[in-house]
Amino acid sequence: MKEGLRLSMAWLHTWSGLLVGWVLFMVFACGTASYYRDEITLWMTPEMHQASLAPVDQDVAATAAQRALEQRGAGGSRWFVTMPTERDPAVRVGWVPKPNKGQGQGQAKAKGRRQFGSAAVDPATGEELGKARETRGGDFFFRLHFDLHYMPVFWGRWIVGVCAMFMLVAILSGIVTHKRIFKDFFTFRPGKGQRSWLDAHNASAVLALPYHLMITYTGLVTLMFMYLPAGLNAVYPEKADAFYADLNGGPARDAKPSGTPVALTPLAPLVAQAREKWNGAPVGRMVISLPGDANAQILMTRQESQGLSSQQPSITFDGVTGRLLSEANKDSGAMQTRGVMYGLHIGRFAGPMLRGLFFLSALAGCAMVATGVLLWAVKERPKHLKARLNSNSGGVGFGLRLVDGLNLGGIAGLMLAMAVFFWANRLVPVGLAGRPELEIQCFFTAWAIAAVAGLAWPVRWMWRVQLVIGGLLFALLPVLNPLTGGAGLATSVAQGKWAIAGFDLVSLAFGAMLLWAAKRLGKVKLAKAPKPQLDKLDKIDEVAA
Amino acid sequence: MTPFLKTMLLIAALASAAGGFTALSLAMSRHWEGVHGRGSAPASRLLPRLRLLGIGGLLLSLCVCLFNWGSAQGWVAWAGVLTAAALGHALTLTYAARAVMRIGYGAAGLTFISLLAAILA
Repeated sequence: MKEGLRLSMAWLHTWSGLLVGWVLFMVFACGTASYYRDEITLWMTPEMHQASLAPVDQDVAATAAQRALEQRGAGGSRWFVTMPTERDPAVRVGWVPKPNKGQGQGQAKAKGRRQFGSAAVDPATGEELGKARETRGGDFFFRLHFDLHYMPVFWGRWIVGVCAMFMLVAILSGIVTHKRIFKDFFTFRPGKGQRSWLDAHNASAVLALPYHLMITYTGLVTLMFMYLPAGLNAVYPEKADAFYADLNGGPARDAKPSGTPVALTPLAPLVAQAREKWNGAPVGRMVISLPGDANAQILMTRQESQGLSSQQPSITFDGVTGRLLSEANKDSGAMQTRGVMYGLHIGRFAGPMLRGLFFLSALAGCAMVATGVLLWAVKERPKHLKARLNSNSGGVGFGLRLVDGLNLGGIAGLMLAMAVFFWANRLVPVGLAGRPELEIQCFFTAWAIAAVAGLAWPVRWMWRVQLVIGGLLFALLPVLNPLTGGAGLATSVAQGKWAIAGFDLVSLAFGAMLLWAAKRLGKVKLAKAPKPQLDKLDKIDEVAA
Repeated sequence: MTPFLKTMLLIAALASAAGGFTALSLAMSRHWEGVHGRGSAPASRLLPRLRLLGIGGLLLSLCVCLFNWGSAQGWVAWAGVLTAAALGHALTLTYAARAVMRIGYGAAGLTFISLLAAILA
C-alpha cells in the first residue's frame, strides 16, 4: 500500500511538473531576476550611473517631491510618491494626468490603459534627474513573471496561477515520492548520466525546500483575490475598489472632487507627524488623491524594513488642513497573515544579505525546474532507443522529441533571450519612438528563434550553440556596459557602486557558467551508453543531449 | 547595528551551519567513507557526538540569525543560511572530499572568530 502511494505520487510528480515546467522555468528565472529589479533598472539606464545622491532627511525629500509634482502633475487626480531608500536614493514620483478633453476618462478606462506620468527626482532639490533612456528595465521581468506578455493581464495571471498550482502539487508529491530525503541529503554524484541528473534535481529541491514551498504558496496568495473572489464579492458586491480602499487605507479610488481649488498643505510636517506615530520609522510611500482640490487627502504608509509583513501601518491626513483623519494599524489576524505571505513573496523587507540568500535559493529553484524537465528526457531516452532497435522504425518518438525541443528553447533559449534584452537595451538607439517595446520585441524575437531552432533540431550541437551564444552575450555585458555610456567595472568598484558592479559581476559569472556547460556538453560523448546500441545508432548519437 | 557587526554575524551564521552540516554528514557512513576512505567507519561512540555537534551547530546558527535579523526575519534568514551552507557542503563532499575535515575545523574556527569580533565590536 505504501509503495502504491509512492508510485502514484511519482506519476503525479512527473506529469504535474513536466506539463507546466517550461512556463515555471520562465516564472522562476524572471522572478529570481526581480529580486534585483531596481539594480537591473539602474544598469539599464546608464545615464544614471554617474548620478550620486547624498541621503537626505525625509522631510527634505517630501518637500522635493511636492515641488516636482506641483510642476509636472498639476491638475492630476492622484499623485504617488516613493521615498528614497538605501537601494534607491532617488525620490520616485508618479501622477495620473489630467484627462484629455478629446478622450474622456471613461473611454481610456474602458481600454484598460490609463496613462501614468512618472519621474525620478533628486531628493535634495526636486530637480528631475537627467533624462534617462526609456526602458522597462527590471520591471519587465517582474511583470513577465506573473502577467506574461502579448495577452490580457487577466489571462496571463490565470495561466501563471494554474502553473503555480501544478508546481505546488509537484513539490508536495515530490516530497512523498522521494524515499531517501535524509539518506541522500548531501549526495551529488556527477558524470553518471541519469543518476547525476536525479541527484542534482533532488539536491536543488531538498536543500532549498523551505524556499520552494514558501515562494510557490505565497505566489498564489498574492493573487488570491483574483483566483478566489467569492468572499470579496459577497461582502463588496460590484465594488472591488472599495475593498482595496479598506484594505490599503486611505480614500476610495472614486472619490469625487469638490471642484473648489485649494492649495495642498505642505507635506514635510505631515511626514514628521507620521514618523512620530511610528516611533521614528520612515515613511515609505505617499498617495495624494485630488491634490489641489478641497477634498484632497494624503495617505502615508510606513517603509517596509522591519518584520515580514507587506501590510504596513498607514495614516490619512486631510490634504488642505493637514488634520489627521484616520490611522490604520493593520494588525488584525487576517490582514497580518496576508501581509506576511505577501511580504515573504516580494521580499521587500530584505536587506542586502537576506536578499542575497533569497537570490541563491531562487537560483536553486531555477535549477530544480530545469533539471526536472531534463531528467524526464534523460529517463525516457533509453526506452525510445530500445523501441527503435526492436522495430527499426523512424527516429525517437514525438513526445520525447517535443520535450527535447521545449527544453532547449525553454531553458537555453530563455537565458539567451534575457541576455539579448540587455544588449538591446544598449544597442537600440535612444529616443526612438516606442523604445521600451522595441527592447521587449528583441527579447521575444530572440526567444522565438531559439525555440523554433530548438524544436527543429533538438540535439546536442544545438544546445551547445545556444549555450555558447547566451554565455558570450552574458560574459560580454561588462564590456558592453562602459562602451555604451555606463560605469564600467573599474569605475563602479572604485566608486563603491555595488549595484552596478554587482550586475556586471553576476553577468560575468552567469556567462562563464553557460560557457562551461557548453564545453562540458562537448566533452561528454556517448561513451557511457551501452556499446551494442551505439553501432546501430550512430546517426542519433547527437540526440542524447 | 553597524554593517561590520551584521557582516560578522552573517559569517558566523553561515560558518556554524556549515560546521554543523559537516558533523552531521560525517555521521553518515557514505560520507564518512568518502572522506576517510572506503571501508573505514567512525568509532561507535563518536556517532552520537557527531550528531549532537551537528545539531548544536545548526541551532547556534539559528540563534545568530534571530539575533541579527530579529525574531521575524531571523527564521527566514536561517532557512536561507541553511540552504546556502548545505549546497556548499554537498559540493565540497563531491568535489573536495579530502578537504572536508579541514573545512569543518575551519568553519568552527571561523564561527568562533566572527562571534568574537561581533562581541568586541
